[in-house]
Amino acid sequence: MSTTTTRKRKQEAVRQTRAARPKKIKSKDSWSIGDRIGVGLAWFFGLMLCLVAAAITLYMAWKGVSFVNWEIISTSPEASLEQSKTGGFLDPIIGTVLLTVIGAAIATPIGVAIAIWLTEYGRPAPLARFVEAGIEVIVGAPSIVLAIFGLLVFQQGFLSPFSFTAEGGAVFGRSFFAAGAVMSLIALPFVVGGTREALNSIPRHVREASYALGKDQASTIRRVLLPSSRSGIATGSTLGMAQIAGDTAVVVVLLGASLQISPEGDIPGLDVLKGTGSTLTSFVFQNSPAGEGNAPDKAYAAAFVLLLLVILLNLIVNLVTRKGKQVWG
Amino acid sequence: MDEQYLGIFDESEQASKEEHPTNRRVELMLGALASLVLVFIAGMVIFVFLKGLPSLTGNGISWFGGGGNVDEQLTNIFNSPAEPENYVYELSAFPLLWSTFLISFIAVCFATVISIFSSIFIVEFAPRPLERILEPVVKFLAAIPSVIYGLLGVLVLVPWINDTLITEEMRVSVRYVIQLDGTSVLAGVIILTIMILPIMIAIITDSLRAVPQVWREGALALGVNRWRALRTVSLRAIRPAIVAAAVLATARALGEAIMLAMVTGSIGFAPNPFDGFLFFLEPSRPLAATIIDGAEGLSVEPFGQTMYAFAFILIVSTGLLSFAGWAARKSLSRYSIGAK
Amino acid sequence: MKSSKRTILGFLLACLAFVAMPVAAQAKPTITISGSTTVAPLATQLAKGYLKSKKCRKNGGCVKFKILQGGSDIGVADVSRGRVTLGMSSRIPKESDPGGIVFNEIAKDALCVATHTDNKINDMTQDQVQDVFSGAVRDWSDVPGSNLNGTVNVTIRTAASGTQDAFDKIFMAPKKTFSGASQKASNGLIEQQLQRDPLALGYLSLAFQKGVHIVNYKGVPCTLRAAKSGQYPGTRPLFLVSRGPASGASKKWINWIRNNKQALRIASSSWVPFK
Repeated sequence: MSTTTTRKRKQEAVRQTRAARPKKIKSKDSWSIGDRIGVGLAWFFGLMLCLVAAAITLYMAWKGVSFVNWEIISTSPEASLEQSKTGGFLDPIIGTVLLTVIGAAIATPIGVAIAIWLTEYGRPAPLARFVEAGIEVIVGAPSIVLAIFGLLVFQQGFLSPFSFTAEGGAVFGRSFFAAGAVMSLIALPFVVGGTREALNSIPRHVREASYALGKDQASTIRRVLLPSSRSGIATGSTLGMAQIAGDTAVVVVLLGASLQISPEGDIPGLDVLKGTGSTLTSFVFQNSPAGEGNAPDKAYAAAFVLLLLVILLNLIVNLVTRKGKQVWG
Repeated sequence: MDEQYLGIFDESEQASKEEHPTNRRVELMLGALASLVLVFIAGMVIFVFLKGLPSLTGNGISWFGGGGNVDEQLTNIFNSPAEPENYVYELSAFPLLWSTFLISFIAVCFATVISIFSSIFIVEFAPRPLERILEPVVKFLAAIPSVIYGLLGVLVLVPWINDTLITEEMRVSVRYVIQLDGTSVLAGVIILTIMILPIMIAIITDSLRAVPQVWREGALALGVNRWRALRTVSLRAIRPAIVAAAVLATARALGEAIMLAMVTGSIGFAPNPFDGFLFFLEPSRPLAATIIDGAEGLSVEPFGQTMYAFAFILIVSTGLLSFAGWAARKSLSRYSIGAK
Repeated sequence: MKSSKRTILGFLLACLAFVAMPVAAQAKPTITISGSTTVAPLATQLAKGYLKSKKCRKNGGCVKFKILQGGSDIGVADVSRGRVTLGMSSRIPKESDPGGIVFNEIAKDALCVATHTDNKINDMTQDQVQDVFSGAVRDWSDVPGSNLNGTVNVTIRTAASGTQDAFDKIFMAPKKTFSGASQKASNGLIEQQLQRDPLALGYLSLAFQKGVHIVNYKGVPCTLRAAKSGQYPGTRPLFLVSRGPASGASKKWINWIRNNKQALRIASSSWVPFK
């Protein structure tokens, strides 16, 4: 008898728990059609992006990787009419690394400083608007115009220590210094843009809390705002370096696009910076159908190496600016 | 009572900003640096303007008009006689302007839509491993030189368009005016979109990530589903960032020279929207591509001046674009995250 | 900054310094050259050949070359201002060029009319070339000798190109090229177009003959031999531009290019040598 009652009680208990549990809503959809389309489109475009990126990389790998070997990366390019004797592209690799590092090294501090000034201070307002407009104008000017202007500037007499002076007394105006300076100009808008967006996404209450604690604006920026905008600075910097690595016009006009790095002068290190050279991008340009070269295979191999280099540089930037996920909640 | 608290914050903020001499010094230094950069850029703009002025004054308002064959006019300018009095300046640059506007505008529209959806995908819906791969991939796409995009276009896209989309009867119908050989507005727009996508995606993903967690949680707590929460809260909040990214991307599109020169056909022709589908398959050439094609002839005085005039128009357009972007951001920033 | 990040940055800076420290250069008379991308491969080859030549090796290396590019235009501008010793130019001197410079011809380049390999047209007269390139004839079926049907896709070089200038003067005068013709920025791109598009027609320099079908002009095949002998009419000169008449090391080099057998052999690999 007790077993039947316990069973009945158990069954009753189960029934009651079931009744007490909220009923599952048997609605047809909780997501409207519009929302589903939205998610669908997000997935579609996201996957298309993956596909396009994969397709581009694989195509370049297919065209170029068969020609990439240790020899090609470590020998200097030679001028020759036969492809087999044209050497490798060591000098262009060095050129790319040098230019990208110089350009980014100049652009990042200046860009961050300008972005800080634009978002945190920005007085007088018309000056700030003009600075912002000026910086975006750089992006809109074709790089050949920037290059020619840079050439004009660096051909002035007072800048002759930055390149070399010909016998006639005229300043050559072309060197790693000159190219690096103009490249930093090209990267600047991206650093400014990335940093500005990062600074703008820090909520107002963070700044207020800092002021309430007695810190002044300058140290708030230094201690509170800058460290949290690191990811934005990194984004801007990476985008800037990408623009530098991919630019041809500045290299051809301001670096001379000479096959090998030809140093100028006697001081080691400084002589390379004063001398001319080329980069992987100008090498690709010259050897591809777009230029006058007849070595398209080397061009694709160089393109592939360039992409590897860029991936490497991006990784380094990520490592240096890594931080945990910033939560302002 | 709220006003009291706000008053305290205002005062401390004012005190923080004004009384400390270091702050003032920092502000002046940063301002000086910004002004220095501005001076350099202004120098460049003035240089380009002065160099390009003769071409603009030599034509007056008809510089912007249409009517002539731009390429023929450019060749005439290139071949002008050596005496300055006899320089030929005649130019009606409308086909180039129309081409620039068309290609950049369409590319930026596509890129904005695609980048918003892609960024949402990357930040919200992508599985973790995919997200980890996608972000560096996007930044890597930004680094591909425009020569390589141009080559990809010339080797893959243009022949495909030529073989698949262009039929003989299309060719015959425009035979005496232009040729359809695959280099076209369509090819330019597709590759330009791919080129400016990474810029926009990088900036928009950063901003999406920076939306305060509590805002989204609040929306979710109200029963809104994930997509709606994103759309109504996050996207609204980052609207200024989207505008900033779009401005940067448009400027980049305007300045893109080498790839477009290779892929859009390099003919100064204004595609006619009334041609229907054919419109996208017609070749043309934007301003920046014209400059790079003419780079070999810069020392011929009037030709060089014409090129500088093109550059000046591009610079002015970008400047106007920047101001427009600022105005848009200012009106949108009421609902955004940041300080001002 | 955390110390690990500092070490990474320090390592990067050290790498930069290491990479930027090759051997210092020795002093010798330097011939700096800048200019046309078309002439640059030829000039580089000739420079290399000169350095290897007996004349130079006897003196333990007689001169140093510095070759840059930048376009015919920048070459001419540089040389007229004295920034470089010699400029390279692939275009015929124009009236509007700066004064005081001398164009020294060092070789010739031949321009060949070319089509896709499917198009078996063998020979074109000057009239036929002018008809098709000027847009008077628009269909391959109207061109005698061609086995194709379809609209001709005329491909030329851009307006500011020296090659286009030469083509206009040698082949087309007095007619003008078709205003709707596709313009390409380099020989390589025209070659690319001819390889992919069966209906294309264009012209190329002598060195670019891969994968395309070369058409005889006025009955003469476009080969090095025909160009050298003067039979092939479509040639244009390549120049080294000097400030005033060439002197010193550059004069010696230009004389070597024009007279030395080794130099002529180098030039004849892809161009038409001076003699």
